[in-house]
Amino acid sequence: MSKMLFEWDYSGYPGAESYPHLFKPIQIGNLMIPNRIKYAATEDNFNTYDGYITDADVEYMRLRARGVVGGMAFMQGVYMDEPGHGQGYIGQAAAWDDKFVPGLKRIADAIHEERAVAGYQLMHCGRVGGHRPHLAKGPSDVPQRLRVFAPVSEMTKDEIKQCIQEHVDATRRGIEAGFDIIEISGIVGYLLSNFISSYTNRRTDEYGGDIYGRMKMVVEIIEACKAECGENIPLGIRLVADEKLDDVRGNTVEESLETYKIAEDAGSDYISATVGWQESIYPVISRDVPQGSWLYVSKQAKEKVSIPITMAYRLFKPDMPNEKIGAGELDVWENCRPQIADPLMPKKVLEGKEDEVRHCVACNLCLARLFRDAPMTCYINPVCAHEHDPAFADPENAEEEKNVMIVGAGPAGLECAYMAAKRGHEVHVYEKNDKAGGTILDAMNAPYGDQELYICIEYQLKMCEKYGVNFHFGTEVTEEMIEDELPDSVVLATGPVYAKGSEDAGFNRDNVVNVLDVLGERVEVGDNVVVWGNRKPGIGVALYLAQKGKKVTLVGEEQRAGFDVNPSFKWRYMIYLRQNGVTAYNDCTISEINDGQAIVRTFDGYRFPVNCDHLIVSVREKNESLKKAVQSEGIECFEVGDALVPRNMSSAVHDGYRIGIRI
Amino acid sequence: MSFNAEKEITTMWKAMQGAQKDIGMIWYRWRKAVAETGNGNISPKELSLKAAEIYGDELGHGFLPRLNWLKGEEGFLKGLCGNIIGEWKKQGALVEVKPGDKPFEAYLIWTRCPWPTYCNQYGVDMEEDVQNCDQILQSILVPVNKFFGVNYSIETLKAIPRGQGQCLRRLYKVE
Repeated sequence: MSKMLFEWDYSGYPGAESYPHLFKPIQIGNLMIPNRIKYAATEDNFNTYDGYITDADVEYMRLRARGVVGGMAFMQGVYMDEPGHGQGYIGQAAAWDDKFVPGLKRIADAIHEERAVAGYQLMHCGRVGGHRPHLAKGPSDVPQRLRVFAPVSEMTKDEIKQCIQEHVDATRRGIEAGFDIIEISGIVGYLLSNFISSYTNRRTDEYGGDIYGRMKMVVEIIEACKAECGENIPLGIRLVADEKLDDVRGNTVEESLETYKIAEDAGSDYISATVGWQESIYPVISRDVPQGSWLYVSKQAKEKVSIPITMAYRLFKPDMPNEKIGAGELDVWENCRPQIADPLMPKKVLEGKEDEVRHCVACNLCLARLFRDAPMTCYINPVCAHEHDPAFADPENAEEEKNVMIVGAGPAGLECAYMAAKRGHEVHVYEKNDKAGGTILDAMNAPYGDQELYICIEYQLKMCEKYGVNFHFGTEVTEEMIEDELPDSVVLATGPVYAKGSEDAGFNRDNVVNVLDVLGERVEVGDNVVVWGNRKPGIGVALYLAQKGKKVTLVGEEQRAGFDVNPSFKWRYMIYLRQNGVTAYNDCTISEINDGQAIVRTFDGYRFPVNCDHLIVSVREKNESLKKAVQSEGIECFEVGDALVPRNMSSAVHDGYRIGIRI
Repeated sequence: MSFNAEKEITTMWKAMQGAQKDIGMIWYRWRKAVAETGNGNISPKELSLKAAEIYGDELGHGFLPRLNWLKGEEGFLKGLCGNIIGEWKKQGALVEVKPGDKPFEAYLIWTRCPWPTYCNQYGVDMEEDVQNCDQILQSILVPVNKFFGVNYSIETLKAIPRGQGQCLRRLYKVE
């Protein structure tokens, strides 16, 4: 007999009519879940170094639980051993002792207060772990390919038995804390995936060999934890359906899918399907992978087993999962990054407010920070990691209503505009173009998914509309206009100016053009192009032109290209530059521009010629054009985004938010 | 035009050769420092071989992201040979690869190498240069073998420091 923890009635909600399959119940084990939505367990590095839960983590989870409107909300995976061989993240929650139960209970209670199903995950990080002891554990001591990870030590049979018991003990603690559903993590390079993979498991004992031997530890853990859970607490497991490790002799897809059958036979109540490893050379979840790319995996899994299949992985909008659930090719729509970007995303979908969703742009900044011992943040959600700070996350109205002039309708100006308007100010946004978006309007034409960046602007425009921001398109703000209008506050969100370069070197020549004019197709360039500036704008235009058949040379003063791109995305760009035949000269500058040729100068003075029909300037500088005029009138003045310091869209959004709550 | 390509290339080439020479000389300068300050407690040769082991191990780990199994074992072996000869070419050696007589076997042939010159210049037994190179190459193979679950070995058949005109090494799969 299945039980329903919280009754939810979705009838009458627009989202339940648009996406009927998402908002119908599903039975997992003996638990009835009101809908098909799951916030997937995600590390956040918010907890203490020794594994205790913090207010930040509780409030982070509370908001995500509110977002799933009765569905499943999983807290991050816990590590289970005192030395920390299983700990992969510096702020990872621990469950190796009963002393952690009160903290875990706070999270379960917060999820229940939002009337959602509380999920708890066991996660030994295997070869990705060993954070504190600087020694990871695995089935075999296969060396690390990524230097960021600790060396691996082969587990003895006693250690395997102990690890299984630690899973059981941690399960008991999760149940004592009040969680409703338990999940075992066996994905992306964590311990159980290490045992399963032929890449990392070279054992010759009963825990190695063929796929059944490599699954033996997983089976023993499922069986032991299932016994601890009893009939009323469902137990699931996350397993990789396609490792994408063919370059290092990993499992075949057939072997991986066989693990699903083995897990089902061992007693798993559901399987969360995933793709790829952290060590995989293929992109899986970044913006360059089209949405819905991995849905074939859930279909294959459904054909293999009869228990429910849940899956995330580039499913950011409700239409695709709704369709696939309806077609019987998926059972539950998982997500983590979409709810990092907008914790209430599924709730907004249910309420028919999809246009108010702040969509994830799949930049992977959140994950990049975790590997570098930094608390999670979000590229486009400034509130992420501040949920426990109401003054930042939900600021009160301004004490005094002001007339605010915002110059520029790019991501910084728009973010600032709606936040200031939300707090009661009268906000006017002036934009010299006839459309909002600023630099993004042209920058989004760069290849490998940058079109997706514009969804941030669409969200901001919707928020501006909601809070009554006034727009003045086609209006370039002048010093005289500021003197005439005399607003109480001016926010300069004008974007950057582009470096002029020396006239002696030829930067005033006709064949020197601006990066945005090229990306916006307002100028034509020749076959041989030199891009000056090796940050993201330069990389974007270099790839854009290389794909049009141009011979592109990227020249920049940074020691490495992509200084402003987060590491979890940068490696993709480096591969794409190579694949597209772009030659990069880093730590260099341009000393001379002539007809058909530019002279590149290395940092230590060597010079060499490069064919160059056009030189594209992508080096940016701060924009102070109206600052003096504003300050000379005694008007409160703020600068945001690239006008303050040229960086990326994330900095623009975060700048805008911070000033929006401060005015 | 003020740009003089020949002058730029010549200057850069000389600087590169100087840097290559310094890499080798520094190895033997450290060895000499140990010989003069170790009071007999540390064997300069043992130190040199230990350094060769560390050097090879780090090179082997550095090869891991650059090697793969996408073109099977033959592609893997080709990649391994390419990575090895690339390291010596960077230091000023001329090295080439020839296919072996059996599957999964290759010959690496050094026709020119600056290292014996440094060895001779510092008055070190020339055989130690052979042993250093052997140690580096064997140490490269340790992480590579472990990572890919293979068992490759390398043996020296001829050596320039022995007056044999070339270094000839057989890289092969141990059956």
